[in-house]
Amino acid sequence: MRTLTVKDLCKTYVVNKRQNNVLKNINMEIHEGEMVAVMGPSGSGKSTLLYTVSGMDTATAGSIDFFGKDLSRLKAKEMSEVRLNEMGFVFQQMHMLKNLTIYDNIILPAYQAAGGRGRSNRAKINEQARALMHKLQISEIAENGTNEVSGGQLQRACICRSLINHPKMLFADEPTGALNQQNSREVMHELNRINAEGTTILLVTHDVKVAAKSDRVLYIEDGSIKGEFTLGKFVSGTDTKDRERKLSNWLMEMGW
Amino acid sequence: MFFRILKKDLQRKRAMNVILLLFIIMAAMFLSSSASNLVTVFGAVEHFFELSNVPDYIIISLAEGRDDPVAEFLDENKWVTEYQTVDMFNLTSDQIEIKSRAALADKHEYEKTSTLAICPIPEKFLKVFDEEQQPLVLKDGEIALARVEAERNHLAAGDVLSVQVGDVTQEFTVKTIVKDATFGTTMMGFKRLYITEHDFLKFAEQKTAVITRLHSVNYSDAAAFGSAYRQMQFPVISNVDREMLRMTYVMDMLMTVVLIVVSICLILVAFLVLRFMIVFTLQEDYREIGVMKAIGISDGGIKGVYLVKYLVLSVVGALIGFLLSFPFGDMLLRQTVVNIVTEYTEQNVVINLGCAAVVVLVVVLFCYGSTNRLKKISVMEAIRNGSNGERYHAKSRISLHGRKKMKPYVYMACNDITGNLRRFLLLLVIFFIGTQMILLPLSAVNTLKSEELIWSFSLMPSDAYLTSGNEELYVLKGGDVRLRDDLEEIKEALGARGYTASAWAEVGYTIPVYANDPDELYNYYSICRIGDTPKEDYQIIEGRTPQLADEVMLTEKTAEEMGVTIGDCVYYKLPEGDEAFVITGIYQSMINMGDGLRLSSEADLGENTMSGIFSTQIEVEELEAEETCEVLEEIYPESKIRGAKDFMKDMLGNIADQLNVLQFFIVVLVLLINSLITALMMKTFAAKERGEIAMLKSIGFADRTIRGWQTVRILLILAAAIAIGAAASRLLIPVAIAPIFAMMGGTHMKLITEPLQAYVLYPALLLFATGVVAYLGTGEVRRVDCKEINNME
Repeated sequence: MRTLTVKDLCKTYVVNKRQNNVLKNINMEIHEGEMVAVMGPSGSGKSTLLYTVSGMDTATAGSIDFFGKDLSRLKAKEMSEVRLNEMGFVFQQMHMLKNLTIYDNIILPAYQAAGGRGRSNRAKINEQARALMHKLQISEIAENGTNEVSGGQLQRACICRSLINHPKMLFADEPTGALNQQNSREVMHELNRINAEGTTILLVTHDVKVAAKSDRVLYIEDGSIKGEFTLGKFVSGTDTKDRERKLSNWLMEMGW
Repeated sequence: MFFRILKKDLQRKRAMNVILLLFIIMAAMFLSSSASNLVTVFGAVEHFFELSNVPDYIIISLAEGRDDPVAEFLDENKWVTEYQTVDMFNLTSDQIEIKSRAALADKHEYEKTSTLAICPIPEKFLKVFDEEQQPLVLKDGEIALARVEAERNHLAAGDVLSVQVGDVTQEFTVKTIVKDATFGTTMMGFKRLYITEHDFLKFAEQKTAVITRLHSVNYSDAAAFGSAYRQMQFPVISNVDREMLRMTYVMDMLMTVVLIVVSICLILVAFLVLRFMIVFTLQEDYREIGVMKAIGISDGGIKGVYLVKYLVLSVVGALIGFLLSFPFGDMLLRQTVVNIVTEYTEQNVVINLGCAAVVVLVVVLFCYGSTNRLKKISVMEAIRNGSNGERYHAKSRISLHGRKKMKPYVYMACNDITGNLRRFLLLLVIFFIGTQMILLPLSAVNTLKSEELIWSFSLMPSDAYLTSGNEELYVLKGGDVRLRDDLEEIKEALGARGYTASAWAEVGYTIPVYANDPDELYNYYSICRIGDTPKEDYQIIEGRTPQLADEVMLTEKTAEEMGVTIGDCVYYKLPEGDEAFVITGIYQSMINMGDGLRLSSEADLGENTMSGIFSTQIEVEELEAEETCEVLEEIYPESKIRGAKDFMKDMLGNIADQLNVLQFFIVVLVLLINSLITALMMKTFAAKERGEIAMLKSIGFADRTIRGWQTVRILLILAAAIAIGAAASRLLIPVAIAPIFAMMGGTHMKLITEPLQAYVLYPALLLFATGVVAYLGTGEVRRVDCKEINNME
């Protein structure tokens, strides 16, 4: 089943009357349960593609079908609803509200989504949040401030927050970009586990090790998808060296 | 290069620069007009007295026959340097009729506010001025009147009055309202109508008319003249010296004190905001400053850019503020000091110019102080927007998961405030000042409008107050007998309808009194009740009310001045000889600025003629207050019947209304200040929080929710400021407002604050207006893009 279908997507910026076509006629499909990585050189349009297909930025032309909804036609309020209930986001910088505890940051979108549905609902959310934090092994930092934890812990907290409303799809922009190797491995391990549990993931990365753990890799250059490389389902805990080698070869072919 | 950076800055940050310019204009305008007004009002009464040529002493008496013993005394007294006697015709309500007026066209009865007389325009002493503050000039057939009289009768320029003196009736067109230094204040129970000398002469031959004689006296030795004058015991209506006259301006001073409080608040607000703006605009530029430092521009050079920028802005702003300070200050003055001629002189221009210069200096100094920090910060710190890489920041004090029902955006607002109160301190302080600006004057307004005020005048409340308009007749010889007859007649008229009624009147006498030394005479006003009351219920501070014929109670101020206390005696100089009265109590009274004595209703003052009467008061056993008024209106359709509240309103004249206008003006001003500061803060918050807003948007928060979060934050601060302000006002009101009433004699006033107005209506208005401005100010949220999450610090 298709989760995300992008057709003829264009994104153009006009700066000082000069047109800059950042995305040119992008066509792609992401299937349910897939984990797709987008790679490409700096300035190729990777992040713009992620922001545009997730509705965080508007498309200049084309259509983005997300579970039957054309995101390019949604109003701002409807788009917020989609982002709140059906999408999750993980960024390179671990953005959280500074003066909230880790736990409060995680439950914030869930409380917002629950609206005024009362006490029992909030109890359920708290239960889910604790379970998620336990799963991502950050239970002990629940009451810490955002400045009292390591980068890896903070990124896992961000993943918790992105999963708290059971999104249909997770968008990750360089989720390991600001982490050291150890933290990077842990975060990818979690993403793979989440994916294995059924959450579709689209991530942007320029790290071959990260991309090697995805099912499929899209290579983007000058705003166009130049190629696609299928790695197949990654089984957590298995060796990635072979996948990394194959991917590296393909990337070299693509001119990376 | 230097000026190119400056030009770019002014263009690129147009909105913030415009806001800063606006606040500089406001600061210059508030500071200049307030300082100027402070100087003007402090010397206003004395200046007004000089313009009007108010004499050292004024004696008001009734002219009976051609003899004038007062004039004879003045002729012979060696301390008198000059004097002038002017005759005026007393007017009862029957003698004036409203022929035509724009308002209330179908009613023709004229309603007096006090004793009324008609006179020609004074030329030597006690001169009067028109609304434009120019010496009064009238043509034949024109008339000018005091503000209270005009307002009570809804008269305006162009309306027509007919005045009858003896057999002569003349019609006059209202020309203007006058500012009268002597009788213009609401505390003076005597008012004049002014006509031309020529028109006055047409009345002058009428022998049947009651004539009030006004002696204006200048002397060389106040004590010697006063002593000699009091020994003569002239049966006069009233005599006042310049000092006493100045005291009658206390109500106007109430307005000026309010104006002063408002002005100080405005100055404070202007400078607080200015400082914040300068610090904020400089912080916003940190990144640029870092870049300038990085490319090698010296600290001095960078400082120069900002000093020149703020110098240009402050000079332009201060100049505009200086120009606006004249109309703004004049408007403030005219709204508040309506009874006094106030004018701007060259002195005010110098003050305003000086204040504008102070604003320029302060802005440049603020800027210099803020740019000093540039020396201490490194290039990287500047590039990181002043952050030195320290990651520590306060953690939330309240938790979201601990809230069972609180909406997330409300929680976020609470959390922002509790987590970093310093950030909202300016807002809190300004909202607090605004709350005080509203609550302090409100207490004065509420107290002046309260029914309880009657106690402070040493009067007893009653169901109805009757004024026939012919009260002048009671101050003639035998007036007390006439008054007793009239009171009996009222009781009989009500008795005929089956009611049991009590009727009484409080009357005043000006009889010399002394304590120990018979040569040290005091001319206090003594009040005594004539008629019967259902119960005796005067408010006293100490002791008890006088019951026996030879008992008396004194106001606190009078007892202090005379050096007596409860148990001592004071002596009245009665025609039959000196008579001792035992002091039984101390009371407060706002009559005559707290000077006075109250005698027992049993007191016998012999042949003395009363010099004034308050309204006739009536109580009917079987009826409620309103019903009593209705019945009396049926019996006495020509008389004015009022309840307690209206009676007090009449006694105080337009001061409560004036305060109302001022209150309205202050509320508008506070709303304006709150709106401006809110708009400014929203702008600064939006600039600093773009990253957070983008993050919230990216995780699915709708614009409306984010705007709600930012609005609730402002409203919470405002609500806290109102709550703190309300609590603080309980402490500040006795300090700020009570002394003003104490000056008037209300030494133990119960200051009233209407809870509905003070704690519900005005706070609701502030919250609503500020909430709307805050919400509109969050419009920037819509323009924040999710991608700006990368700008999050």
